[in-house]
Amino acid sequence: MAFPDRSRISRRSLLKASAAGGLVATTGGISATFGQGAPVNFTSWSAAVDQVRSHVSAFERATGLKVNYENFPWAQYRTSVVTRLVGNAPMDVLWVSDAWLPEFAEAGWLATIDDVPELMKYNADAAQFCTQSMVYKGKQYGLAYYGDHMSFIYNTEILQKAGITTPPTSWEEVVQQSLKIKQSGGPEFPMLMALGIDTWLIEFMSALVFAHGGRFVDASGNAIMADANRGVVEAVSWVREAIHTHKIVSPGAVETTEINALRAMGAGQHAFAIVPTYRLRALNDPSQAPAAGKLRPALMPRGPRATASATCGWIRFYGMTPGAKANAGRRANAVRFMEFFGGKDTTGSYTLQKLLLTDVGLPFCTTPLSADPEVQAFWTRWAGGGDVIAQQAATAVKKDVIAPWFGEWNETANAAWQSVFLNRATPQAAATAMAAKWKDLKG
Amino acid sequence: MADTWADRLSRKAGYDERSAAILILPVFVVLMVVALYPIIYSFYTSLFDIVLTRPWRRPFVGYGNYARIFQDPMFWVAVQRTTVYTVVTVSITTVFALVVALLLNEAFPGRRLLSALILLPWATPSIVNGLMWKWIYDPGYGLLNGILVQVGLLESYTVWLGNPDRTLFMIANAAIWKQMPLAAILLLVSMKAIPQDLYRAATVDGANVFQRFWHVTLPALKPGLMLVLVYETMISIRHFDLFLIMTQGGPGDASYTLSWQIYVETFRNLKFGIGAALSYLLAIATFVLSYLFIRGFGSKS
Amino acid sequence: MMWRRGLRALVITVLSLLLVIYVAGPVAWLVSSSLQSESDITAVPPNWLPPKVTFDNFEAIFAPPKREVTYETRRQGDPATGRFLPSGAENLLPALWNSFAVGMLVAILNLVVSMTAAYAIAVIHFKGRKAALYTILVTRVIPDIALIVPLFLVMRQLDLVNTRFALVVTYLAVTVPFTIFILISYFEQIPRDLYRAARADGCSHWQALRFVYLPLSLPALVASVMFAFLTSWNEFIFALILTQNITSQTLPIIISGFVMDFTTSFSFINAAGVIAIVPPVVLAMMFERYIVSGLTAGAVKG
Repeated sequence: MAFPDRSRISRRSLLKASAAGGLVATTGGISATFGQGAPVNFTSWSAAVDQVRSHVSAFERATGLKVNYENFPWAQYRTSVVTRLVGNAPMDVLWVSDAWLPEFAEAGWLATIDDVPELMKYNADAAQFCTQSMVYKGKQYGLAYYGDHMSFIYNTEILQKAGITTPPTSWEEVVQQSLKIKQSGGPEFPMLMALGIDTWLIEFMSALVFAHGGRFVDASGNAIMADANRGVVEAVSWVREAIHTHKIVSPGAVETTEINALRAMGAGQHAFAIVPTYRLRALNDPSQAPAAGKLRPALMPRGPRATASATCGWIRFYGMTPGAKANAGRRANAVRFMEFFGGKDTTGSYTLQKLLLTDVGLPFCTTPLSADPEVQAFWTRWAGGGDVIAQQAATAVKKDVIAPWFGEWNETANAAWQSVFLNRATPQAAATAMAAKWKDLKG
Repeated sequence: MADTWADRLSRKAGYDERSAAILILPVFVVLMVVALYPIIYSFYTSLFDIVLTRPWRRPFVGYGNYARIFQDPMFWVAVQRTTVYTVVTVSITTVFALVVALLLNEAFPGRRLLSALILLPWATPSIVNGLMWKWIYDPGYGLLNGILVQVGLLESYTVWLGNPDRTLFMIANAAIWKQMPLAAILLLVSMKAIPQDLYRAATVDGANVFQRFWHVTLPALKPGLMLVLVYETMISIRHFDLFLIMTQGGPGDASYTLSWQIYVETFRNLKFGIGAALSYLLAIATFVLSYLFIRGFGSKS
Repeated sequence: MMWRRGLRALVITVLSLLLVIYVAGPVAWLVSSSLQSESDITAVPPNWLPPKVTFDNFEAIFAPPKREVTYETRRQGDPATGRFLPSGAENLLPALWNSFAVGMLVAILNLVVSMTAAYAIAVIHFKGRKAALYTILVTRVIPDIALIVPLFLVMRQLDLVNTRFALVVTYLAVTVPFTIFILISYFEQIPRDLYRAARADGCSHWQALRFVYLPLSLPALVASVMFAFLTSWNEFIFALILTQNITSQTLPIIISGFVMDFTTSFSFINAAGVIAIVPPVVLAMMFERYIVSGLTAGAVKG
């Protein structure tokens, strides 16, 4: 019932595949024995669409397989995907956020790839942080699409005008420099924060908490977020004071989403911001941002008790559905697709990973690529060098609130953060509410 | 062979009953498939603890979901927000629409143009409506700040949607903008049915404008007002699109309404049981309000 | 008497002006910003009129590049901060057609089934008319969000997911109860003597509806048609779940996709918004005179 056209499609694409002739014979010889005429159903959110499409074209040419590529807007993505998973819509490979891994794995919506050596071999080339982020309860669930972290960036021109020579290294310094910038006729709100209710909020807040040397939960997964001096309360207090005491962050920040913040930063309206590192590419592109060339990364400022500059990292990855894995033909195709996209393509290189970086700015998880001269030229061109970013990436910590109940907890957390930013609740009260919800959900 | 159901019916029922049955049948067929089944199904769902991410265990909990909702402080927050939003939206829309309908019922040059213009908001999809107003309220670039500062009413740009004291009213304004035209048209249509004789008679009796409005127009508008109140209440109390586009329940919980809570529980937390139970509570509230309006305005004087 | 007429004119003029500004102002701003470049619409203070008119957004909608994307033809850069148009721009026109087709079909079917049912309930005094009315109305008290999941299951059973037909049937159920309600309240205002006379002359119920009630109810019928069309045109949440590809997705879904994406410029979204407003406005203006000019006002003397 759900696949009325299955046989027709397979026949048509089989014909196509045989028409492709020689190519299929050389590259797809073995898996052809599985009778894999069916297309690969690939579902993603609508990011890097042109890069993905061009790689899909390459995949279709190289393998003779057909790809049904569908994308949904990021904000609707989880709902759309869950509807399709529950409704048994045809899906083989999909993009997954690290935040959903436990939930999806527990629900049986993702297949482990531990027993797929063709994919597991890429772990040897992958940054440890990335691989760990795809592991849940000891099993790995995919190959990386990209891995990134939150970067602290500053506008060199605005700092210069205010007579500031080096970017801040502590949050205290962020306040002082911001006040100095305000006094010397710079922007009214030197520090830009995107505190609107948005999927990025937890990543911003995690970056701030980690930069304060803090954590939300301890090693055994129990909430420590409400404990004073464990990071959360300090980080939230800093933001509240930045808005209400020092007035260096706009009170409109509570309705500013990540994308809107980006526009303002690119327009040169603020001195400091925390952004996903991949946005540096767009922010320093003169055709997109008036402030291009002036926006540079610095190490994340530290909180009073932090011993090192830390930030929050995340990854997004290719996952396979259990439905695809259970069927030999679909499984073979899905594996080839995942390898071609998340590993090396049939030319033996990490083509897409490089494309995603140079076109869109998305950092990769495949360490060998870092030595590539084009990659190094990229960082020099768009970020004034790759050292700070590499150094910061090494300190990236994955969101420690990732759990099967993350989504529900995050709803409470979002409201709690905002109540502090609006000065409607104390940092301690908000942290306590979050901790209570965590305990409740953890059971 | 001899006895079809129509024959049987015609023997039992008279011509009126038979005609009525045939005339109503198409509606019932549509509603049966698309509305009645889902309604029953979602009530059934509300009695189970269904969490989509836990497909293997969905125990029967009876009124358990309802009990949990009543203990949830966010439910009471949502009730409060929904009440404020609904009362503001419905009352202002109705009064506003009445004024517009009275205006358009007058004969004056430019009336045709005006009545065409007021259709603009109605023709605007609510998604576009939400975007447009969000863009107007923007604290950084918005038109509202631009106007108020240029006119001198405001010293510097201020925060509208992001201010929890204002959020609900800002959203309500967008809703009123869109809903007013339909309400006005319904009232206007109702006014068109008032026989002119009544006005002439009233004028002969020496009634002034206000007396005519009070004694002739308003009583005759009762069915129209009932329509407007019922419809506006039904859509305002469960309004969703604007909240999704404009605030996502925020800032904080300032626009956390019942329909937003239903969305969050159902589609974000994937708790279908709780979502269905919340929906039923909202449905009961809607029903009671509609019933009161129908009883209050529907009776013929 | 003179001052009285002057006052009336003054009140009407002031009210009309305020109404025009409130109602048309936001739309004018939407149109203006759709013709500006990204940097112009984020200017402070805002540009009331486009400093430099650009039709880039509309070109992208009406002449979307049909191309196969390869390494050579791909577009580089993250469209996030503007200038670049979303990959879904080419979906707008098909979605416009879907919206229109669905809206029209709903408007027509809705009118057919509603007027007969409304006549039956309002005019024929049969046993159980109250019950019938309440049953119909009660289907609308449940929030739409609650109906989505079961409706999705029904449509999947019938293999109707991703079809325009699924939307038509759904919107019919959404609009019919209220249309019936509108028509009943109008039919009840029509003097009953007309009905009695018609029946005495030997008219059947169908003829009474056709020759007495319908001609007298034009404003209400037009209002119902517009209500049904615009409700379908606007609807978002059912379409979001019931349709997941462009063979059946409607405009609100495509437009909300632009908003919720991280890659779309504000001015493009505004242009998409303008596109979404135009067809219903044209339609509404065509029908407007039937409602407002009160064709029947004289006829209903009874």
